[in-house]
Amino acid sequence: MTAERPAGRAASWRDWRDWRAWWRHSTARLVVAAALLGAACLIWAATPPGTAGAAGPALVVLAACCLAGGTARLALAGLRRPDTEGYPGPVARLGAWSLDTLRRVPWAEASTLAVLALEALHPARPWHTALLGAALTGYLFAVHLAESSSGRGESAAILRSQAPVLAAGLGLLVLAAGSALLPSAGTGPAGAGLRAAAAIAALLACALALPV
Amino acid sequence: MPDHPPGGTAPATALALSWNVSGHARRLLTLAVAGLAIAVGTGRPEFAGLAAPALLLLAAGRRGRPGQVQVTAGLTATRLVEGERAAVTLAVRGADGYTVHLALRPAHHIVPLPGLGGQRPGHAAGRDATLPFTVRRWGRRRTGSAEIILRDRWRLAEGRAVLGLPGLDCYPRPAVQRTRVVLSRLPQRLGEHTARAAGEGAEFGGVREYVPGDRQRSSNWPATTRRGRLQVNTFQAERAQDVIILVDAAWDEGEPGDSVVDRALRGAAAAARAYLGARDRVGFISYRSQARWLVPGLGQRHYYRIAEAMLTAERDRSYDTGFSRLPRAALPPGALILVFSPLADPRLVETLRDLRQRGFAVLIVDVQAGEPWLGRGRTARLAHRLWRLEHQAIRFSLRELGVPVVQWDGQQNLDLPLAPYTRRALVTRR
Repeated sequence: MTAERPAGRAASWRDWRDWRAWWRHSTARLVVAAALLGAACLIWAATPPGTAGAAGPALVVLAACCLAGGTARLALAGLRRPDTEGYPGPVARLGAWSLDTLRRVPWAEASTLAVLALEALHPARPWHTALLGAALTGYLFAVHLAESSSGRGESAAILRSQAPVLAAGLGLLVLAAGSALLPSAGTGPAGAGLRAAAAIAALLACALALPV
Repeated sequence: MPDHPPGGTAPATALALSWNVSGHARRLLTLAVAGLAIAVGTGRPEFAGLAAPALLLLAAGRRGRPGQVQVTAGLTATRLVEGERAAVTLAVRGADGYTVHLALRPAHHIVPLPGLGGQRPGHAAGRDATLPFTVRRWGRRRTGSAEIILRDRWRLAEGRAVLGLPGLDCYPRPAVQRTRVVLSRLPQRLGEHTARAAGEGAEFGGVREYVPGDRQRSSNWPATTRRGRLQVNTFQAERAQDVIILVDAAWDEGEPGDSVVDRALRGAAAAARAYLGARDRVGFISYRSQARWLVPGLGQRHYYRIAEAMLTAERDRSYDTGFSRLPRAALPPGALILVFSPLADPRLVETLRDLRQRGFAVLIVDVQAGEPWLGRGRTARLAHRLWRLEHQAIRFSLRELGVPVVQWDGQQNLDLPLAPYTRRALVTRR
């Protein structure tokens, strides 16, 4: 004999299960993931505050606006223009124009540039930049999955197929950050430039040698 | 964009793909170029490392791409009723090594629905996919087009092709009607309505004395025992009637999907279904710039003929009703005329007056729910007042003609407004 669950409690349990199923299948969680990753990148690049110079606050505002715009674009991706038989009113036309503009602007690219510029304004901190690079790559993948995924399981399949290349890229990222921490062979701007050129050369060599 | 003829499944079509860099590739390129530029500009190698994952992914993209794919498209139903579910079936061949994404670009009044397995409405993944949709408003509709998107393993390039989808016919959703208005005088044709005249039906009529020629099986033995003379049961005749459904589509007002013509057609569809279900002969007249009619007929097939005729109400865009007398061929003698109208056109009153003078029984269902939207302000108030007065004048003139008018809002059961006339036979007076 099993103890019966009270009706109200059973209904709430069913609601909770429905919500969980919806959350698991919908692209909303990818949109939320992209928004959270974008916000984390911005906060990470902006800390510590006050060390990015005069352009810092403006870049923070710009990046935040771009992130908000990108999140709104992803969230409204499924929104269709309402069917109207006749000529639409001013509010409907304004809404349609806003939606078109929202979909045309490259929000993710703009926010990436703003976050990178913000990070570049800070003094050199290789591990901090390396973590930002990993987070930015994750953010771009989340944006891509949110806008192109059409069902459950697809995101995992995409990431699984790209995992070796992503791992190689992250390995190079760690190597570059580690090389930046080593005591410099030469001092001054020439030595730093040399190290950057070496990192880029290593990166290009890996890209060309990629067995794909 | 190749286009299909209306209906059915078309043979496989070869579609040329146009390849472009994907949005994902553009974003990765932005990250890579910006990272490298900052690394060179500031001399900080960690920025070059930041560009590494993006750059490696971009380098991994392959070059060989298919130039075209074979696509078979079809619809699960080419005739449906408003709100019914149908689906576009798509099969894509020749895209090996690529992930296929299918998107429905719906036409006017086509609403994509979420598919199985948590698919987004109007989107599906895979080489064989089903994209469910529904049609919001009756009419001869284009379904829209299907966009086929091929993505490589790295999601760096997108090949796109667009295929026009077959069209479909969407019939008005019939309202609920279970009862029927029946005339007191019915034509001499076998049917299901109990007539006043005695006949061979199943409805008991009375008892009378036996006369030679009566059937022995109709003897009423209890009455015979009581009266001492042989008594027989009499029965009432069962007859069919002719019903003409007239839809006034000369004037439309309201939101698409809930306009007066929408309500009129849904009511007309309900009436046609109810009377054809009772084996009556049903005809249909569409009253607009020109009268289009269907002669009365019987059966389920005739219902679809009427539904097809209803679809022409949308195609005929002229609102000028240049006549007031309906053709004799459309009106069988002694028919019941059921009119679905917003009663906004005084010329319809002339038509109905003519029908009454020709001896037809007319019953009007007024489908104008509330007042039409004429704007705000003083002028609009005046316009509303004029509209109300004109509407009252039309109703008054119809009452004077002896034509009953019932109000129906399009939402409730049609049996409710018709109840006073379905309880007993409708008496026709000339």
